[in-house]
Amino acid sequence: MPTRRGFLAGLMATGLAPCASWADAGSPAFLAAAKVPSGAFALIGLSATGERLFEIPLPGRGHAAAAHPSRPLAVAFARRPGQFALVIDCASGETVRRLDAPEGFHFYGHGAFSADGAVLFTTENDYETGRGMIGIWDAAGGFARLGAVPSGGVGPHELRLMPDGEALVVANGGIETHPDAGRQKLNIPTMRPNLSYLAFDGTLLDQAEPPASWHKNSMRHITVRGDGLVAIACQWQGAMTEVPPLLATHRMGGPLAFHGFGPGAEYDLQGYLGSVAFSGSGEEIAVTGPRGGMAVVADAEGRVTRRLDQRDICGAAPGVDGFVFTTGEGRMLADNGVTRDLAGHDCAWDNHLVPIG
Amino acid sequence: MKHVLAALLIALPLAAPAQDRAGMIRGIVDEEIVGGFAELEQAAARMVEAAGQDCTHPGLHDSYAAAFLAWARVSHLRFGPSEEENRAFALAYWPDPRGRTASAIRKMLADGNEDLLAPETYADMSIAVRGFYALDYLLHEEDLTEIGTPEYRCALVRTIVADIHGTTGELAEAWEGFAPMLTEPGADSPYRTEDEVLQVLYKSASTGLEFASDMRLGRPLGTFERPRPNWAEAYRSGLSLQLLQAAVRGAGGLAVRLAAVDATLQARLKAELEDFHDSADALGDPVFASVAEPTGRFRVESLQTDLQEVREVVQGELGPALGVSAGFNSMDGD
Repeated sequence: MPTRRGFLAGLMATGLAPCASWADAGSPAFLAAAKVPSGAFALIGLSATGERLFEIPLPGRGHAAAAHPSRPLAVAFARRPGQFALVIDCASGETVRRLDAPEGFHFYGHGAFSADGAVLFTTENDYETGRGMIGIWDAAGGFARLGAVPSGGVGPHELRLMPDGEALVVANGGIETHPDAGRQKLNIPTMRPNLSYLAFDGTLLDQAEPPASWHKNSMRHITVRGDGLVAIACQWQGAMTEVPPLLATHRMGGPLAFHGFGPGAEYDLQGYLGSVAFSGSGEEIAVTGPRGGMAVVADAEGRVTRRLDQRDICGAAPGVDGFVFTTGEGRMLADNGVTRDLAGHDCAWDNHLVPIG
Repeated sequence: MKHVLAALLIALPLAAPAQDRAGMIRGIVDEEIVGGFAELEQAAARMVEAAGQDCTHPGLHDSYAAAFLAWARVSHLRFGPSEEENRAFALAYWPDPRGRTASAIRKMLADGNEDLLAPETYADMSIAVRGFYALDYLLHEEDLTEIGTPEYRCALVRTIVADIHGTTGELAEAWEGFAPMLTEPGADSPYRTEDEVLQVLYKSASTGLEFASDMRLGRPLGTFERPRPNWAEAYRSGLSLQLLQAAVRGAGGLAVRLAAVDATLQARLKAELEDFHDSADALGDPVFASVAEPTGRFRVESLQTDLQEVREVVQGELGPALGVSAGFNSMDGD
C-alpha cells in the first residue's frame, strides 16, 4: 500500500494536489538555510516568533530558497555555481523534484515564483557565453523546464516578482564566473552590473546601471515594495580605499539613487552588504553587513535612522513590526527601533531569511 | 611544575605586545611588500633588456621566468595599489576558462595592426592580451609561428614585455607610497588600527594559499574521471610547479611572519610549509602532466593535501590567534 506521503508526493509531482497549504507545514513565517551542530546543512522553517517548525536535511550548503506563494513548497538552491536545486515539500519533508540546470548552465542561488505559483523563475549562467539567463520552470506541471530568457546582463543574482505580478526585477551583479574556475571572478576590471526589469517573455522593460566610476559596485540583492520601489544592496569589488555607497533605490523608469551611510560607514561594512529587506510597514529599508558586523536601517529615502551592531548578521526580512534578522551565530532578532532577541538556535544561519506569503 | 608552567603559558594571552605587532607589520611591509614589488620591477627590467636582444622563447626564457616567479611571490597581495587601476589583472589574467587570451593573441597576430603596439595604446587593451599569461602563450604556443609575420610576433613580445615592466614600475612606486598606510594606521589611513592592518594581511595570505590550492593545483587535477593537465598554469613554458612554489613562498611566508604572535604556532606553520616544499621538490613533474595517470595523480593529490594542511593551520589557528573574525557569513558570503 502506498504511504500517504508517497501518494501526496506523487500527486504533487503531477501538479494535482492543490489542497496542501503552508498550514500543513506548521504555517512558517520564514525559511532559512543553516548549518546544524552535526556539521550538516538543513532548510529550516521558522515561526514569526522564531520557533523552529521543521528542519529538512540538505545535501550541502544552501544559499537561498524560493517559497511557493500558497503550497508548502520550497525550492532550495545550492551555493553558486550550483548544478541543481531541490523542490522540497515542507509538509512531508520530502524532496519532490530535483531541478537540473540544463547543459551549459548553472544556478546562481536565487529564484522566485509567479504570483499564482504556477511558474518558477531562477537566475542562471549560460557559462560558455557568460550571458546571464532567467530559467523558467512549470511549477504547476511537475517543474518541467519551459525555457530561458536573457537576464539583461552578466551574473544575475537575486530576482523578485514585481508587485503587479507581471514582470521581474533582476540584479545583474556583473561578475562573470565559469564553473571550470570555481568561484573566481573573471572580469572585475570590465564588470558592468545593472538592474533589469523583464516581462515574462524576456522583453527588457527598463534597465539602470551605476555610474561608470562605480562600475565595480556589484548589485546583488534586491527587494521590492508594494508600490514598486526597489531597494538594492551592493558589494563593492574595487579598492577599499574608495568604497562608494552600497545602498541604492530605484523605480522603473526613474533614475538610480545611491544612499551613503555617513563618513566611513561603507568602509566599516568592508564594502559588502549581504541582504536587504523592507520593514513590515514598508517605511524602512534594512541592509545587513556580515563583514562589518552590523545592520543599517534607513528610511525609504535612504536616510540612515539606526545601526545595529551584531556579529555575522546577514539574514533580513520584514517582521510584523519592523524587521527580523538572523546571524551566523544562531541568533534571531526582531527590531522596530528597539532590538530584542527572538530566539537563539544551535545553528549557523546562512545568508538569507526568506519570508513566506 | 612543568604542568603548571604549561598551563600558565596556555592561559597567557597569545597576542604579542603592541610594540611587537607594529614591528612585525613594519617588517612585512618593508621586506615582503615593498621589497617584493621592487624585486619584481627589477626582474621585469631585466626581461625588457633581454627581449631587446632576443624576442624568442629560448633567449628570453630565463629573464621571463624570473620575472614571472617574482610576480607569483607577491601575487597574493591583491589589495591597495595592486587592486587600484586593475594592476594585478593587467599582469595576471588567469584562470581564463573561455580561452580569451588565446583567441585575442591569435587575432592580433592575424591582423598585424602596428598601431596597437604603441605603449599607451597597449596599456588600454583588454587585460586578456596583457601580462605574463599572454606572454606565456605568445612565446610558447607552437602553432602561432604559422600566424602573421615573425617581425610582428617579435614586436608584440617586446610590447607585452614593456607593458609588464610599466605595470610593475607603477606597482613598486605605488606600494612604496602606500606603505605608511599600513605601518601607521589611524585617521590618515584607510586602516584605522593595527588590527585592521593585520586583518588585510591575514586575508591576503589566506586567499593566496586558497588560490594556490584550488586553482594552481586544483585546475590541472580536475576530477579523477576528467583530469585536466592542459589547465595547469603556464604549462607551455614548463613553469607550473615553480609558480606554485613561488606563490606558496609568498603567501605562506607572509603567514609565517604573522604567526610571530605565537611561537608554537609559527613553528608548526613552518614545518607544514617545509613538508609541502619537500613534496614539491620531489615531485619531478614540473607541469603536473602526470595527473592523468594513477601514480602521478596520487603524488599531485598528496601535494595538495600538504597544502591543505598549511591552510588548516592558517585558518584554524593563525586567524583566531590574530583575532580575525571568521564568521559563517562574513568570511564566506555570496
